[in-house]
Amino acid sequence: MSNHLAAGGGASIWLQELFRRHYTKVVTWCLRVAGDREEAYDLAQGVFVKAQRHLGAFRGDSNVSTWLYSITRSECLNYLRSRSPLNDPLDDDVAEALPDDPESRPERVFELHSSVQAARALLDRELTDTEKRVFTLHYGDDVPLQTITSLLRLENPSGAKAYLVSARRKLARALQRWRASEKLTA
Amino acid sequence: MAEARSRERSLLRKALSPSYACASPLELGGLADGSLAQPAAARLRDHVSGCARCQTELTLLKDFESAAPRPDEERAVRWISARLERRFSEASAGPSPWRARHGPALPRRSVFTALNVGGFAVAAATLAAAVTIGLREGRPPELAQPSPAAPTVLRSAGITTLSPAGDLDAAPNELRWEPQTGAASYSVQVMEVDHAELWSAETRDASIALPPALRARIVPGKPLLWEVVAKDAAGRAVAWSGKQRFRIRR
Repeated sequence: MSNHLAAGGGASIWLQELFRRHYTKVVTWCLRVAGDREEAYDLAQGVFVKAQRHLGAFRGDSNVSTWLYSITRSECLNYLRSRSPLNDPLDDDVAEALPDDPESRPERVFELHSSVQAARALLDRELTDTEKRVFTLHYGDDVPLQTITSLLRLENPSGAKAYLVSARRKLARALQRWRASEKLTA
Repeated sequence: MAEARSRERSLLRKALSPSYACASPLELGGLADGSLAQPAAARLRDHVSGCARCQTELTLLKDFESAAPRPDEERAVRWISARLERRFSEASAGPSPWRARHGPALPRRSVFTALNVGGFAVAAATLAAAVTIGLREGRPPELAQPSPAAPTVLRSAGITTLSPAGDLDAAPNELRWEPQTGAASYSVQVMEVDHAELWSAETRDASIALPPALRARIVPGKPLLWEVVAKDAAGRAVAWSGKQRFRIRR
């Protein structure tokens, strides 16, 4: 027999209590993503409404907090995509901080390494943990740099932008080394 | 310039998207709190150690688990939490000390009016779930007392799914399951592995055709989940299938 909740009439005190325990986590996250309390309030409401709707799918084989994280993450990414699709003004700053060499752009790393696994291994080898996280969130999930700074609680003056610039420089250098080794073996 | 940036975005997103081997947030949670069983835990730990995406997810998950507002965030977090309480109080059928404390609900957009507060578990089912969750959370939640007016408790039951499941040669045309005694209708949902909903529908039959737009999103190698919930004539959920996983072979 499944350990799903059986539905029926009754009060929502249990649900209210359950959600109350997790307000701080969800709200703090929503605030860091939205950057504004009104927007964060709407976002947090959306998280709890979705959690309520999907309560029947929660099977109890994972931590409630992890389950709520999964919903919060999904709602926050959808919010970010709907708010500013692919237009991060800080990307201009990043571009200005790097040499304008199309052959050194990070996507060349992925183009030249035909296997995604090989490109990922390169990324894993060359970048620091924080650089990897900034790179993955910004390019993999379209999270704006300002939001990444807030989510990862980066306290350096230019936040995630500095890590992105650093990561791209490292990948460009790795690309140059790779090209040099190709020439040697040719 | 804009075209080059768009191309860059597209390539990098492709390279940094989750692979089939990447863990879902729930699996990462199991790894983090030690509840994921061996040998899956060892296999996942090995993958995470070399995967920037999974490491990022794990970092965010751990940060979420311990999230506390910074001093400059505390005021806004308190403001939002108080308003969420008001919405809950407004949506709840029972008397609430929170309502008295915070006054009438705010005129802000009322997403919480969408809450179906009458659709939750009655006391007996609540007790079972609360004990399970309470053990995981470290302390038991406060429980509602059973109401003499509460309707008969309907215990949950499992639905046997027929297809799709596992590795397939082509995108499925439909979802099928065994009819459930007492079911008047079924809610079905197709999800990404992180449980993000792709499509949902209602039907009175024990099968439902998948629309072309959804089938087009079922690409080789990409795992998806689906589940079905049986409902009685009053719309109450009476049985669940649990999540079924499938994908098309590469």
